[in-house]
Amino acid sequence: MANQAAALNAPPAKSQAELIYEQFQRSQRQFTLGVGASWGVLLVLLALVFSGLHLTVGPLNFTTIHLDFQFIRDWTPFISQGIWQTIGISFLSILFATLLALLAALGRLSRFPPIYAVSTFYISLIRGTPLFLQILFFFLALPQLGIDLPGLWAGVLALSLNYGAYMSEIFRAGILSVSKGQRESAVALGMNYSQMMRRVILPQALRFAIPPTGNEFIAMLKDSALVSATGFVHEILWRAQQAGQPNFRNLEALIVAAVFYWVLTLIFSAFQSRLEFFMARGDR
Amino acid sequence: MTHIVRISHLDKYFGRLHVIKDVSFDVQPQEVVCIIGRSGSGKSTLLRCINFLEEPSAGTVEVDGLSVPAGVRGKANNQLVHNIRLRTGMVFQEFNLFPHPSVIENVIEAPVTVKGMPRAQAVAIGEKFLTKVGLIHKRDEYPNRLSGGQKQRVAIARALTMEPKVMLFDEPTSALDPELIGEVLDVMKKLASEGTTMLVVTHEMSFAREVADRVIYMEDGQLIEDAPPEVMFTSAADPRCRQFLERVRQPG
Repeated sequence: MANQAAALNAPPAKSQAELIYEQFQRSQRQFTLGVGASWGVLLVLLALVFSGLHLTVGPLNFTTIHLDFQFIRDWTPFISQGIWQTIGISFLSILFATLLALLAALGRLSRFPPIYAVSTFYISLIRGTPLFLQILFFFLALPQLGIDLPGLWAGVLALSLNYGAYMSEIFRAGILSVSKGQRESAVALGMNYSQMMRRVILPQALRFAIPPTGNEFIAMLKDSALVSATGFVHEILWRAQQAGQPNFRNLEALIVAAVFYWVLTLIFSAFQSRLEFFMARGDR
Repeated sequence: MTHIVRISHLDKYFGRLHVIKDVSFDVQPQEVVCIIGRSGSGKSTLLRCINFLEEPSAGTVEVDGLSVPAGVRGKANNQLVHNIRLRTGMVFQEFNLFPHPSVIENVIEAPVTVKGMPRAQAVAIGEKFLTKVGLIHKRDEYPNRLSGGQKQRVAIARALTMEPKVMLFDEPTSALDPELIGEVLDVMKKLASEGTTMLVVTHEMSFAREVADRVIYMEDGQLIEDAPPEVMFTSAADPRCRQFLERVRQPG
Protein backbone atom coordinates (compact mmCIF):
# COMPACT_ATOMS: atom_id res chain seq x y z
CA MET A 1 0.00 0.00 0.00
CA ALA A 2 2.79 2.37 0.96
CA ASN A 3 4.53 1.48 -2.28
CA GLN A 4 1.46 2.30 -4.27
CA ALA A 5 1.11 5.67 -2.58
CA ALA A 6 4.76 6.42 -3.20
CA ALA A 7 4.35 5.44 -6.83
CA LEU A 8 1.37 7.74 -7.15
CA ASN A 9 3.22 10.69 -5.59
CA ALA A 10 6.52 10.25 -7.41
CA PRO A 11 6.69 12.72 -10.33
CA PRO A 12 7.44 10.37 -13.27
CA ALA A 13 5.12 7.57 -12.17
CA LYS A 14 5.93 4.16 -13.54
CA SER A 15 3.22 2.70 -15.65
CA GLN A 16 1.71 -0.64 -14.78
CA ALA A 17 3.37 -2.12 -17.84
CA GLU A 18 6.79 -0.98 -16.62
CA LEU A 19 6.16 -2.47 -13.17
CA ILE A 20 5.09 -5.78 -14.64
CA TYR A 21 8.12 -5.80 -16.92
CA GLU A 22 10.46 -5.07 -14.01
CA GLN A 23 8.91 -7.88 -12.01
CA PHE A 24 9.48 -10.16 -14.99
CA GLN A 25 13.10 -9.05 -15.31
CA ARG A 26 13.67 -9.60 -11.59
CA SER A 27 12.42 -13.16 -11.74
CA GLN A 28 14.56 -13.76 -14.83
CA ARG A 29 17.63 -12.42 -13.01
CA GLN A 30 16.88 -14.53 -9.95
CA PHE A 31 16.67 -17.64 -12.10
CA THR A 32 19.97 -16.88 -13.85
CA LEU A 33 21.67 -16.17 -10.53
CA GLY A 34 20.28 -19.36 -9.01
CA VAL A 35 21.51 -21.46 -11.91
CA GLY A 36 24.94 -19.79 -11.79
CA ALA A 37 25.31 -20.40 -8.06
CA SER A 38 24.27 -24.03 -8.42
CA TRP A 39 26.82 -24.54 -11.18
CA GLY A 40 29.45 -23.10 -8.85
CA VAL A 41 28.49 -25.56 -6.11
CA LEU A 42 28.61 -28.49 -8.55
CA LEU A 43 32.06 -27.42 -9.77
CA VAL A 44 33.36 -27.18 -6.21
CA LEU A 45 31.96 -30.64 -5.44
CA LEU A 46 33.61 -32.06 -8.54
CA ALA A 47 36.90 -30.44 -7.55
CA LEU A 48 36.53 -31.89 -4.03
CA VAL A 49 36.07 -35.39 -5.44
CA PHE A 50 39.50 -35.07 -7.08
CA SER A 51 41.12 -33.07 -4.30
CA GLY A 52 42.88 -35.96 -2.53
CA LEU A 53 41.69 -34.58 0.83
CA HIS A 54 40.35 -36.62 3.70
CA LEU A 55 37.06 -35.03 4.59
CA THR A 56 35.18 -35.53 7.79
CA VAL A 57 31.55 -34.53 7.87
CA GLY A 58 30.16 -35.36 11.29
CA PRO A 59 30.49 -39.10 11.80
CA LEU A 60 31.30 -39.72 8.11
CA ASN A 61 34.79 -40.01 6.65
CA PHE A 62 35.42 -39.48 2.95
CA THR A 63 38.58 -40.35 1.13
CA THR A 64 38.65 -38.45 -2.14
CA ILE A 65 40.57 -39.31 -5.26
CA HIS A 66 44.24 -38.45 -5.17
CA LEU A 67 45.66 -37.03 -8.38
CA ASP A 68 49.31 -36.71 -9.37
CA PHE A 69 49.43 -32.96 -9.82
CA GLN A 70 53.12 -33.05 -10.65
CA PHE A 71 52.28 -35.21 -13.64
CA ILE A 72 49.46 -32.83 -14.65
CA ARG A 73 51.81 -29.84 -14.46
CA ASP A 74 54.46 -31.64 -16.51
CA TRP A 75 52.21 -32.98 -19.23
CA THR A 76 49.47 -30.37 -19.68
CA PRO A 77 51.59 -28.33 -22.15
CA PHE A 78 52.17 -31.46 -24.24
CA ILE A 79 48.46 -32.33 -24.32
CA SER A 80 47.47 -28.73 -24.98
CA GLN A 81 49.47 -28.75 -28.22
CA GLY A 82 46.74 -31.01 -29.56
CA ILE A 83 44.13 -28.23 -29.38
CA TRP A 84 45.07 -26.85 -32.77
CA GLN A 85 45.00 -30.30 -34.31
CA THR A 86 41.54 -30.89 -32.88
CA ILE A 87 40.22 -27.54 -34.11
CA GLY A 88 41.97 -27.97 -37.46
CA ILE A 89 40.53 -31.43 -38.18
CA SER A 90 37.08 -30.33 -37.08
CA PHE A 91 37.21 -27.19 -39.18
CA LEU A 92 38.40 -28.96 -42.34
CA SER A 93 35.87 -31.73 -41.85
CA ILE A 94 32.92 -29.41 -41.25
CA LEU A 95 33.89 -27.52 -44.41
CA PHE A 96 33.84 -30.62 -46.62
CA ALA A 97 30.83 -32.01 -44.74
CA THR A 98 28.87 -28.83 -45.51
CA LEU A 99 29.59 -29.16 -49.23
CA LEU A 100 28.65 -32.84 -49.21
CA ALA A 101 25.51 -32.15 -47.18
CA LEU A 102 24.40 -29.48 -49.63
CA LEU A 103 24.91 -31.78 -52.61
CA ALA A 104 23.19 -34.66 -50.83
CA ALA A 105 20.26 -32.42 -49.89
CA LEU A 106 19.84 -31.20 -53.48
CA GLY A 107 20.07 -34.83 -54.60
CA ARG A 108 17.37 -35.91 -52.20
CA LEU A 109 15.11 -33.18 -53.56
CA SER A 110 15.85 -34.09 -57.18
CA ARG A 111 13.15 -35.73 -59.29
CA PHE A 112 15.82 -37.35 -61.50
CA PRO A 113 15.97 -40.99 -60.30
CA PRO A 114 19.76 -41.65 -60.56
CA ILE A 115 20.63 -38.47 -58.65
CA TYR A 116 18.00 -39.16 -56.00
CA ALA A 117 19.31 -42.73 -55.75
CA VAL A 118 22.98 -41.74 -55.39
CA SER A 119 22.07 -39.30 -52.66
CA THR A 120 19.86 -41.64 -50.63
CA PHE A 121 22.35 -44.52 -51.14
CA TYR A 122 25.16 -42.42 -49.70
CA ILE A 123 23.08 -41.25 -46.75
CA SER A 124 21.82 -44.74 -45.98
CA LEU A 125 25.27 -46.36 -46.20
CA ILE A 126 26.91 -43.78 -43.95
CA ARG A 127 24.12 -43.65 -41.41
CA GLY A 128 23.94 -47.43 -41.33
CA THR A 129 27.54 -47.93 -40.19
CA PRO A 130 29.45 -46.66 -37.13
CA LEU A 131 31.63 -43.58 -37.45
CA PHE A 132 34.47 -45.41 -35.70
CA LEU A 133 34.30 -48.19 -38.29
CA GLN A 134 34.41 -45.61 -41.08
CA ILE A 135 37.53 -44.01 -39.62
CA LEU A 136 39.25 -47.39 -39.28
CA PHE A 137 38.14 -48.27 -42.79
CA PHE A 138 39.83 -45.27 -44.37
CA PHE A 139 42.94 -45.67 -42.28
CA LEU A 140 43.41 -49.42 -41.79
CA ALA A 141 41.41 -51.14 -44.52
CA LEU A 142 42.28 -49.05 -47.56
CA PRO A 143 46.08 -49.70 -47.39
CA GLN A 144 45.23 -53.36 -48.14
CA LEU A 145 44.04 -52.12 -51.54
CA GLY A 146 47.23 -50.13 -52.00
CA ILE A 147 45.62 -46.82 -51.01
CA ASP A 148 47.67 -45.20 -48.27
CA LEU A 149 46.01 -42.09 -46.93
CA PRO A 150 47.94 -39.98 -44.43
CA GLY A 151 46.35 -40.27 -40.99
CA LEU A 152 45.07 -36.72 -41.01
CA TRP A 153 43.34 -37.07 -44.37
CA ALA A 154 41.87 -40.46 -43.58
CA GLY A 155 40.35 -38.85 -40.50
CA VAL A 156 39.09 -35.77 -42.31
CA LEU A 157 37.65 -37.91 -45.10
CA ALA A 158 35.80 -40.18 -42.68
CA LEU A 159 34.46 -37.31 -40.56
CA SER A 160 33.39 -35.32 -43.65
CA LEU A 161 31.56 -38.22 -45.23
CA ASN A 162 29.87 -39.09 -41.95
CA TYR A 163 28.80 -35.59 -40.99
CA GLY A 164 27.84 -34.79 -44.58
CA ALA A 165 25.26 -37.56 -44.50
CA TYR A 166 23.75 -36.41 -41.21
CA MET A 167 23.89 -32.72 -42.07
CA SER A 168 22.13 -33.24 -45.41
CA GLU A 169 18.92 -33.25 -43.38
CA ILE A 170 19.69 -29.73 -42.13
CA PHE A 171 20.08 -28.42 -45.66
CA ARG A 172 17.06 -30.33 -46.90
CA ALA A 173 14.97 -28.77 -44.14
CA GLY A 174 16.47 -25.37 -44.99
CA ILE A 175 15.53 -25.67 -48.64
CA LEU A 176 12.03 -26.91 -47.77
CA SER A 177 11.59 -24.04 -45.31
CA VAL A 178 11.62 -21.56 -48.19
CA SER A 179 7.99 -20.98 -49.12
CA LYS A 180 6.41 -22.28 -52.29
CA GLY A 181 5.58 -18.71 -53.24
CA GLN A 182 9.29 -17.92 -53.55
CA ARG A 183 9.71 -20.70 -56.11
CA GLU A 184 6.60 -19.67 -57.96
CA SER A 185 7.61 -16.06 -58.30
CA ALA A 186 11.10 -17.09 -59.45
CA VAL A 187 9.58 -19.42 -62.05
CA ALA A 188 7.04 -16.81 -63.15
CA LEU A 189 9.92 -14.39 -63.70
CA GLY A 190 11.45 -16.90 -66.11
CA MET A 191 14.22 -18.34 -63.91
CA ASN A 192 15.39 -21.88 -64.57
CA TYR A 193 16.16 -24.37 -61.79
CA SER A 194 19.77 -23.35 -61.21
CA GLN A 195 19.01 -19.62 -61.30
CA MET A 196 16.16 -20.12 -58.85
CA MET A 197 18.35 -22.18 -56.51
CA ARG A 198 21.34 -19.88 -56.68
CA ARG A 199 19.57 -16.55 -56.49
CA VAL A 200 16.40 -17.24 -54.50
CA ILE A 201 16.23 -20.53 -52.60
CA LEU A 202 19.77 -21.19 -51.35
CA PRO A 203 20.45 -17.72 -49.92
CA GLN A 204 17.38 -18.16 -47.73
CA ALA A 205 17.99 -21.85 -47.00
CA LEU A 206 21.64 -21.28 -45.97
CA ARG A 207 20.65 -18.62 -43.50
CA PHE A 208 18.34 -21.15 -41.92
CA ALA A 209 21.12 -23.76 -41.90
CA ILE A 210 23.91 -21.71 -40.31
CA PRO A 211 22.98 -22.14 -36.61
CA PRO A 212 22.48 -25.94 -36.82
CA THR A 213 25.80 -26.21 -38.70
CA GLY A 214 27.41 -24.50 -35.72
CA ASN A 215 25.95 -27.20 -33.49
CA GLU A 216 27.40 -29.86 -35.75
CA PHE A 217 30.81 -28.22 -35.50
CA ILE A 218 30.66 -28.47 -31.72
CA ALA A 219 29.72 -32.15 -31.96
CA MET A 220 32.56 -32.63 -34.44
CA LEU A 221 35.11 -31.20 -31.96
CA LYS A 222 34.42 -34.20 -29.76
CA ASP A 223 33.96 -36.85 -32.46
CA SER A 224 37.34 -35.85 -33.89
CA ALA A 225 38.83 -37.63 -30.87
CA LEU A 226 38.00 -40.94 -32.59
CA VAL A 227 40.69 -40.12 -35.14
CA SER A 228 43.28 -40.60 -32.39
CA ALA A 229 42.81 -44.34 -32.97
CA THR A 230 44.80 -44.06 -36.18
CA GLY A 231 47.78 -42.94 -34.13
CA PHE A 232 48.90 -40.40 -36.67
CA VAL A 233 46.86 -37.34 -35.78
CA HIS A 234 48.34 -35.72 -32.72
CA GLU A 235 45.18 -34.18 -31.37
CA ILE A 236 44.14 -33.85 -27.74
CA LEU A 237 43.07 -37.41 -26.99
CA TRP A 238 46.05 -38.98 -28.78
CA ARG A 239 48.41 -36.84 -26.74
CA ALA A 240 46.59 -37.70 -23.52
CA GLN A 241 47.07 -41.38 -24.26
CA GLN A 242 50.74 -40.86 -25.15
CA ALA A 243 51.28 -39.08 -21.87
CA GLY A 244 49.16 -41.34 -19.68
CA GLN A 245 49.96 -44.88 -20.72
CA PRO A 246 53.77 -45.08 -20.29
CA ASN A 247 53.56 -43.23 -16.97
CA PHE A 248 50.55 -45.18 -15.64
CA ARG A 249 48.76 -41.87 -15.21
CA ASN A 250 45.75 -42.44 -17.48
CA LEU A 251 43.34 -40.94 -14.97
CA GLU A 252 45.20 -37.64 -14.84
CA ALA A 253 45.85 -37.53 -18.57
CA LEU A 254 42.23 -38.20 -19.49
CA ILE A 255 40.96 -35.62 -17.01
CA VAL A 256 43.24 -33.02 -18.59
CA ALA A 257 41.97 -33.97 -22.05
CA ALA A 258 38.37 -33.84 -20.81
CA VAL A 259 38.90 -30.33 -19.44
CA PHE A 260 40.28 -29.16 -22.78
CA TYR A 261 37.33 -30.61 -24.70
CA TRP A 262 34.87 -29.15 -22.24
CA VAL A 263 36.39 -25.68 -22.37
CA LEU A 264 36.53 -25.77 -26.18
CA THR A 265 32.89 -26.78 -26.26
CA LEU A 266 31.93 -23.98 -23.88
CA ILE A 267 33.79 -21.38 -25.94
CA PHE A 268 32.25 -22.47 -29.24
CA SER A 269 28.80 -22.84 -27.68
CA ALA A 270 29.04 -19.23 -26.56
CA PHE A 271 29.86 -18.23 -30.16
CA GLN A 272 26.99 -20.38 -31.29
CA SER A 273 24.39 -18.72 -29.10
CA ARG A 274 25.63 -15.28 -30.20
CA LEU A 275 25.27 -16.44 -33.79
CA GLU A 276 21.74 -17.74 -33.21
CA PHE A 277 20.73 -14.52 -31.54
CA PHE A 278 22.18 -12.51 -34.42
CA MET A 279 20.46 -14.63 -37.06
CA ALA A 280 17.12 -14.46 -35.27
CA ARG A 281 17.39 -10.68 -35.00
CA GLY A 282 17.99 -10.40 -38.74
CA ASP A 283 14.56 -11.91 -39.30
CA ARG A 284 12.70 -8.84 -38.24
CA MET B 1 -7.03 -6.25 -83.79
CA THR B 2 -5.77 -9.74 -83.20
CA HIS B 3 -5.65 -11.51 -79.86
CA ILE B 4 -2.56 -11.51 -77.64
CA VAL B 5 -3.75 -14.37 -75.42
CA ARG B 6 -5.84 -17.26 -76.66
CA ILE B 7 -6.98 -20.09 -74.41
CA SER B 8 -8.50 -22.97 -76.38
CA HIS B 9 -10.40 -25.88 -74.86
CA LEU B 10 -8.30 -25.85 -71.71
CA ASP B 11 -8.76 -28.65 -69.19
CA LYS B 12 -6.96 -29.16 -65.91
CA TYR B 13 -7.11 -32.10 -63.56
CA PHE B 14 -5.62 -32.28 -60.07
CA GLY B 15 -5.41 -36.05 -59.81
CA ARG B 16 -8.99 -37.08 -60.51
CA LEU B 17 -10.40 -33.70 -59.70
CA HIS B 18 -11.53 -31.85 -62.82
CA VAL B 19 -10.88 -28.18 -62.00
CA ILE B 20 -10.92 -26.49 -65.42
CA LYS B 21 -13.47 -27.74 -67.93
CA ASP B 22 -13.06 -26.89 -71.59
CA VAL B 23 -12.41 -23.17 -71.15
CA SER B 24 -11.75 -20.97 -74.19
CA PHE B 25 -11.39 -17.22 -74.48
CA ASP B 26 -9.24 -14.53 -76.12
CA VAL B 27 -7.68 -11.38 -74.76
CA GLN B 28 -7.01 -8.49 -77.13
CA PRO B 29 -4.01 -6.19 -76.74
CA GLN B 30 -4.61 -3.41 -74.19
CA GLU B 31 -7.68 -5.15 -72.86
CA VAL B 32 -8.38 -5.52 -69.14
CA VAL B 33 -10.19 -8.78 -68.39
CA CYS B 34 -11.37 -9.55 -64.86
CA ILE B 35 -12.13 -13.11 -63.83
CA ILE B 36 -14.64 -13.44 -61.01
CA GLY B 37 -16.34 -16.31 -59.25
CA ARG B 38 -16.55 -18.17 -55.98
CA SER B 39 -13.51 -19.60 -54.21
CA GLY B 40 -12.72 -22.94 -55.74
CA SER B 41 -14.31 -22.08 -59.08
CA GLY B 42 -10.95 -22.58 -60.82
CA LYS B 43 -10.21 -18.94 -61.66
CA SER B 44 -6.74 -18.87 -60.05
CA THR B 45 -5.84 -22.22 -61.59
CA LEU B 46 -6.90 -20.90 -64.99
CA LEU B 47 -4.64 -17.87 -64.59
CA ARG B 48 -1.73 -20.06 -63.43
CA CYS B 49 -2.14 -22.26 -66.50
CA ILE B 50 -1.39 -19.27 -68.72
CA ASN B 51 2.25 -19.02 -67.54
CA PHE B 52 2.48 -22.76 -66.82
CA LEU B 53 2.79 -22.52 -63.05
CA GLU B 54 0.20 -25.23 -63.50
CA GLU B 55 0.58 -27.51 -66.47
CA PRO B 56 -2.68 -27.73 -68.44
CA SER B 57 -4.02 -31.26 -68.89
CA ALA B 58 -5.55 -30.60 -72.31
CA GLY B 59 -6.05 -27.72 -74.70
CA THR B 60 -3.74 -24.98 -75.94
CA VAL B 61 -2.33 -21.80 -74.42
CA GLU B 62 -1.21 -19.11 -76.82
CA VAL B 63 0.54 -15.91 -75.76
CA ASP B 64 1.86 -13.34 -78.22
CA GLY B 65 1.84 -15.83 -81.08
CA LEU B 66 3.57 -18.59 -79.09
CA SER B 67 1.27 -21.56 -78.95
CA VAL B 68 1.86 -24.40 -76.48
CA PRO B 69 -0.37 -27.47 -76.56
CA ALA B 70 -0.88 -29.33 -73.29
CA GLY B 71 0.94 -32.54 -72.52
CA VAL B 72 3.90 -32.00 -74.87
CA ARG B 73 7.29 -32.28 -73.22
CA GLY B 74 10.85 -31.89 -74.39
CA LYS B 75 13.42 -29.18 -74.96
CA ALA B 76 11.53 -27.26 -77.66
CA ASN B 77 8.43 -27.13 -75.51
CA ASN B 78 10.38 -26.00 -72.43
CA GLN B 79 11.85 -23.20 -74.50
CA LEU B 80 8.35 -22.16 -75.59
CA VAL B 81 7.12 -22.19 -71.99
CA HIS B 82 10.14 -20.12 -70.99
CA ASN B 83 9.37 -17.61 -73.73
CA ILE B 84 5.76 -17.40 -72.60
CA ARG B 85 6.95 -16.68 -69.05
CA LEU B 86 9.12 -13.88 -70.40
CA ARG B 87 6.03 -12.38 -72.04
CA THR B 88 3.83 -12.61 -68.94
CA GLY B 89 4.29 -10.85 -65.64
CA MET B 90 2.58 -12.27 -62.58
CA VAL B 91 1.47 -10.65 -59.34
CA PHE B 92 0.58 -13.00 -56.49
CA GLN B 93 -1.85 -12.74 -53.63
CA GLU B 94 1.01 -13.18 -51.14
CA PHE B 95 3.38 -10.75 -52.94
CA ASN B 96 6.28 -13.25 -52.83
CA LEU B 97 8.98 -10.60 -52.82
CA PHE B 98 12.45 -12.03 -52.18
CA PRO B 99 13.21 -11.22 -48.52
CA HIS B 100 17.01 -11.17 -48.75
CA PRO B 101 17.66 -8.44 -51.36
CA SER B 102 16.55 -4.80 -51.23
CA VAL B 103 13.60 -3.43 -53.19
CA ILE B 104 15.67 -2.36 -56.20
CA GLU B 105 17.56 -5.67 -56.18
CA ASN B 106 14.22 -7.50 -56.16
CA VAL B 107 13.11 -5.51 -59.15
CA ILE B 108 16.26 -5.96 -61.27
CA GLU B 109 16.91 -9.59 -60.28
CA ALA B 110 15.12 -11.22 -63.20
CA PRO B 111 16.18 -8.77 -65.95
CA VAL B 112 19.83 -9.26 -64.95
CA THR B 113 19.76 -13.00 -64.16
CA VAL B 114 17.28 -14.19 -66.76
CA LYS B 115 17.65 -11.73 -69.62
CA GLY B 116 21.34 -10.98 -69.03
CA MET B 117 20.57 -7.28 -69.13
CA PRO B 118 23.41 -4.94 -68.07
CA ARG B 119 22.88 -3.86 -64.47
CA ALA B 120 22.77 -0.14 -65.19
CA GLN B 121 20.07 -0.60 -67.79
CA ALA B 122 18.03 -2.84 -65.48
CA VAL B 123 18.35 -0.29 -62.68
CA ALA B 124 17.13 2.48 -65.00
CA ILE B 125 14.05 0.46 -66.02
CA GLY B 126 13.47 -0.70 -62.45
CA GLU B 127 13.59 2.87 -61.14
CA LYS B 128 11.14 3.97 -63.82
CA PHE B 129 8.60 1.38 -62.65
CA LEU B 130 9.26 2.01 -58.95
CA THR B 131 8.45 5.64 -59.68
CA LYS B 132 5.29 4.56 -61.47
CA VAL B 133 4.07 2.61 -58.43
CA GLY B 134 5.08 5.52 -56.20
CA LEU B 135 7.81 3.76 -54.24
CA ILE B 136 11.07 5.12 -55.62
CA HIS B 137 11.83 6.47 -52.12
CA LYS B 138 11.82 2.87 -50.82
CA ARG B 139 14.42 1.83 -53.41
CA ASP B 140 17.01 0.62 -50.87
CA GLU B 141 14.60 -0.61 -48.21
CA TYR B 142 14.19 -4.32 -47.45
CA PRO B 143 10.80 -5.90 -48.23
CA ASN B 144 9.94 -6.80 -44.64
CA ARG B 145 10.13 -3.11 -43.72
CA LEU B 146 7.26 -2.35 -46.09
CA SER B 147 3.50 -2.50 -45.55
CA GLY B 148 1.44 -5.08 -47.43
CA GLY B 149 0.25 -2.50 -49.93
CA GLN B 150 3.80 -1.31 -50.56
CA LYS B 151 5.01 -4.89 -50.97
CA GLN B 152 2.36 -5.54 -53.57
CA ARG B 153 3.26 -2.35 -55.45
CA VAL B 154 6.92 -3.43 -55.48
CA ALA B 155 5.79 -6.84 -56.76
CA ILE B 156 3.95 -5.07 -59.57
CA ALA B 157 7.06 -3.02 -60.40
CA ARG B 158 9.14 -6.21 -60.33
CA ALA B 159 6.84 -7.88 -62.86
CA LEU B 160 6.73 -4.75 -65.05
CA THR B 161 10.53 -4.45 -65.16
CA MET B 162 10.60 -7.64 -67.23
CA GLU B 163 8.54 -5.63 -69.77
CA PRO B 164 5.95 -8.35 -70.33
CA LYS B 165 3.21 -8.26 -72.96
CA VAL B 166 0.52 -9.36 -70.52
CA MET B 167 0.18 -8.84 -66.77
CA LEU B 168 -1.49 -11.60 -64.73
CA PHE B 169 -2.89 -10.62 -61.33
CA ASP B 170 -3.91 -13.45 -58.98
CA GLU B 171 -6.15 -11.88 -56.33
CA PRO B 172 -3.67 -9.05 -55.78
CA THR B 173 -5.60 -7.42 -52.93
CA SER B 174 -6.95 -10.47 -51.08
CA ALA B 175 -4.10 -10.64 -48.54
CA LEU B 176 -4.24 -6.92 -47.75
CA ASP B 177 -5.75 -5.05 -44.84
CA PRO B 178 -8.81 -3.16 -46.07
CA GLU B 179 -7.19 0.26 -45.77
CA LEU B 180 -4.29 -0.82 -48.03
CA ILE B 181 -6.37 -2.16 -50.91
CA GLY B 182 -6.96 1.24 -52.48
CA GLU B 183 -3.30 2.07 -53.15
CA VAL B 184 -2.83 -1.20 -55.05
CA LEU B 185 -6.03 -0.81 -57.06
CA ASP B 186 -4.98 2.76 -57.92
CA VAL B 187 -1.72 1.49 -59.40
CA MET B 188 -3.62 -1.13 -61.37
CA LYS B 189 -6.06 1.49 -62.68
CA LYS B 190 -3.13 3.60 -63.80
CA LEU B 191 -1.62 0.64 -65.67
CA ALA B 192 -4.99 -0.09 -67.28
CA SER B 193 -5.37 3.51 -68.42
CA GLU B 194 -1.91 3.38 -69.99
CA GLY B 195 -2.94 0.44 -72.12
CA THR B 196 -1.38 -2.47 -70.24
CA THR B 197 -2.97 -5.79 -71.15
CA MET B 198 -4.21 -7.24 -67.89
CA LEU B 199 -5.89 -10.43 -66.71
CA VAL B 200 -7.11 -9.98 -63.16
CA VAL B 201 -8.56 -12.64 -60.87
CA THR B 202 -10.35 -10.59 -58.26
CA HIS B 203 -13.10 -10.29 -55.67
CA GLU B 204 -13.13 -6.49 -56.03
CA MET B 205 -16.37 -6.04 -57.97
CA SER B 206 -16.16 -2.27 -58.05
CA PHE B 207 -12.73 -2.52 -59.65
CA ALA B 208 -14.05 -4.96 -62.24
CA ARG B 209 -17.03 -2.72 -62.97
CA GLU B 210 -14.93 0.40 -63.26
CA VAL B 211 -11.79 -0.80 -65.02
CA ALA B 212 -12.49 -4.02 -66.91
CA ASP B 213 -13.26 -4.14 -70.61
CA ARG B 214 -14.66 -7.63 -70.12
CA VAL B 215 -15.62 -9.69 -67.11
CA ILE B 216 -15.51 -13.47 -67.07
CA TYR B 217 -17.59 -15.40 -64.57
CA MET B 218 -16.42 -18.90 -63.67
CA GLU B 219 -18.18 -21.57 -61.72
CA ASP B 220 -17.20 -25.18 -61.07
CA GLY B 221 -14.31 -24.99 -63.55
CA GLN B 222 -16.46 -23.72 -66.38
CA LEU B 223 -16.54 -20.37 -68.08
CA ILE B 224 -20.17 -19.42 -67.58
CA GLU B 225 -20.32 -15.87 -68.83
CA ASP B 226 -18.00 -13.52 -70.69
CA ALA B 227 -19.42 -10.02 -71.06
CA PRO B 228 -18.56 -6.32 -70.77
CA PRO B 229 -19.04 -5.09 -67.19
CA GLU B 230 -22.10 -3.00 -67.99
CA VAL B 231 -23.82 -6.17 -69.21
CA MET B 232 -22.33 -8.49 -66.57
CA PHE B 233 -23.37 -6.38 -63.61
CA THR B 234 -26.85 -5.48 -64.83
CA SER B 235 -28.19 -8.19 -67.07
CA ALA B 236 -26.01 -11.32 -67.01
CA ALA B 237 -27.54 -14.00 -69.17
CA ASP B 238 -26.87 -16.98 -66.91
CA PRO B 239 -28.94 -17.32 -63.72
CA ARG B 240 -25.98 -18.78 -61.74
CA CYS B 241 -23.98 -15.69 -62.57
CA ARG B 242 -26.84 -13.35 -61.61
CA GLN B 243 -27.26 -15.19 -58.32
CA PHE B 244 -23.53 -14.86 -57.51
CA LEU B 245 -23.54 -11.13 -58.24
CA GLU B 246 -26.67 -10.75 -56.14
CA ARG B 247 -24.90 -12.43 -53.18
CA VAL B 248 -21.80 -10.27 -53.60
CA ARG B 249 -23.90 -7.12 -53.56
CA GLN B 250 -25.79 -8.16 -50.44
CA PRO B 251 -23.43 -10.14 -48.24
CA GLY B 252 -24.96 -12.51 -45.71
